Order: sequence, then C-alpha cells, then structure tokens
Amino acid sequence: MGPLAGETEVARLRRGDPGAFEDLLARYQHRLYRYLVRFVRDRALAEDLFQQTWLRVTQKIGQYDPQRNFEAWLFSVARNLAIDHLRRYQPESLDEPPPGDPTGESRQARLAAGGPSALDHVLERERSERLEAALTLLPWMYREVLTLRFEEEMKLEEIAGVLDAPLSTAKTRLRRGLEQLRRILEAQGARKTWA
Amino acid sequence: MGMNEHDAIRELLPLAASDALDEKEQRRLEEHLRACEACAAELDHWRTLGRGLRRLPTPQVSSVLFERTRQQIQVQLAAEKEHAANPWLMGFLVLLSWTLVVATWPILRLMTQGIASWLDFGFRSMWIGMVSYTLVGWAAGGLAAVALGVRRASARRAT
Repeated sequence: MGPLAGETEVARLRRGDPGAFEDLLARYQHRLYRYLVRFVRDRALAEDLFQQTWLRVTQKIGQYDPQRNFEAWLFSVARNLAIDHLRRYQPESLDEPPPGDPTGESRQARLAAGGPSALDHVLERERSERLEAALTLLPWMYREVLTLRFEEEMKLEEIAGVLDAPLSTAKTRLRRGLEQLRRILEAQGARKTWA
Repeated sequence: MGMNEHDAIRELLPLAASDALDEKEQRRLEEHLRACEACAAELDHWRTLGRGLRRLPTPQVSSVLFERTRQQIQVQLAAEKEHAANPWLMGFLVLLSWTLVVATWPILRLMTQGIASWLDFGFRSMWIGMVSYTLVGWAAGGLAAVALGVRRASARRAT
C-alpha cells in the first residue's frame, strides 16, 4: 500500500478518530516493528520506539501530506526517533565507517574469503537465522536500506524518501550493504569450513 | 570485452539482484550477460542472497505491546481533544466571570454601604472597591482552576 485508502481515511485520522488509528496500527504493526528491530538490533528498545512512533504519528498526522506515500512517512517518523535515541544514548552505534576504509567494511567483512562456491555453501547450509545474524553485523545505514528494499519491498525512490537523501545515496548504500553482507557470509562460511 | 567493462558490470550485479537498475543499466547488463557466463552465474549468487533476505522471518508484535500501544494512542487522542477544547472553555469562563462581576457589583455596593460600612474597607470608593472585588474573584477562580488541573493531570498519569 502506498497512499492511505483515501481522503476519508485521512480525514478520520485528522479528526482524531481512535478507530482509524487502531486500523492503522493493526495494519502496520509487524512491519514497523521489524524495521525498528533491524535498525536498533534490540527488541526491548524497538518496542519502546514502536510505541513512541505511534504517539508521534497521532501528534503529527495533521502534517501528513496525503499525496505522499504513507509507509515512507511512517518509517521516516520511526527512523528519526530511532536516530535521536541512538545519538543520545548510544552515539558509538551511529559511528561512520572507520577512516581509511571507504566501503565501511567491518572486521568480519575484511576477513572475506572464498568465491561464489563459498557463498553457495553458506546459503545452502545455513538457515535464515544465520543471515539475520550477519545482517546485524552491518553498519546501521546498510541494515536499514536492505530491510527497506528486501523486506518492505520499497522502491529506491521510496527508500530515498525515508532516508531523506538523494536517490544515488540510497542506491550506493544498497549496493554496499549487499556487498558487505556477502563478504560477512563468505567469511563465516570459510571459518566454519576451517573449524 | 574489456576488463573495465567486466568490472563495471560486476558493480551492477548487486543492484540487478535488487531490481534497482535504471533502464540504461539494465540494457547494458543484459547485453553483457548474453556473452558472459561468469557474470550470469555471479548474478545468480546475488539473487540467492536477495531471496534469503526476502524470506527472513518477521519479528512479531506481541499482543501485550499491541494493546499497550492502542491504549496509549487513545489516551493521547483524548488529551489532544481536551487540549483543543481548552481555548473555547477558557473564553467562555472569562466571559462568565466578567458578567458575574458586573452583575453582582451593585449587590456588594448595597451591602457595604449598609452593615459593613462602619468597618471602612474602602469599598465606598468606587474604583478601589471594583478592583478589590475583581481581584478577589479572579484569584479564587485561578486557584480553583489550578487545583482542578493538578487533579486531572494526576488522574491521567494514574491511567
């Protein structure tokens, strides 16, 4: 779903109709929670931010432009709250990639080994928990873009809208995120073979 | 096929697996893949990774979290409605207060000129009496409003 179901739904929300907000909460609960879990990597914190996001949505619904994609707006509200929280309480988690490492590769990524066959080996043998764990090793800006693209199935334009960044930024982060994720998986697969 | 072209295409593969290429890039990739089996195989690996990401289990919101959020939304909406109604209520109360002051002033004057006149509160002077009477009335009203507000806020916190 892009825009809300129609003017009536937006009007109900702007009137402060509790039923309209409940419908919205029921519709987006799991997706919003998933986005926050991927973003902050902590379920308790994601729950807290989930509630804060909905309270912010009730406060700011008057500012929502019905022409804009509602999902993008909702996720950008959640994103701003998450970044504010991390900036305040876990600033180290928002650190940019280390200097001298233009792709922002983590230590795990730099241990990359093996080619396509190693990837096949990992992807065939490992379950999604492994992939999920590898995802958490990525910097937040890549985790975010990967979940928006592959789990939320947002288009690049919509992702750029959530990020409030140019399309080229969304595209670059998507590519780098995938490249790093693959290196991490290959490194883990290789380590497992050595064990 | 030049090595540079090959490298450039390799950079496009993760985006191709994400369906994030523009038309020009897509055409360039398709043309390259017709003649390059290695890149076609590489693209398959990226697509496998993409499929894995799409199939990741979605963390579920617990019924407790859902219910708590639903209740918070209701409380918030009720507070906002009340907040929106406050200016109207305040306007009405101000109007009512002034009406009462003006309407009851002759009665007070009558009383102070009679029984209480010997105490000489100064009420016999028109403007001092009017100002004192208004201030006492507004102070009492203000205190009552603050007390009510505090009580409501604590009731809201309790819910």
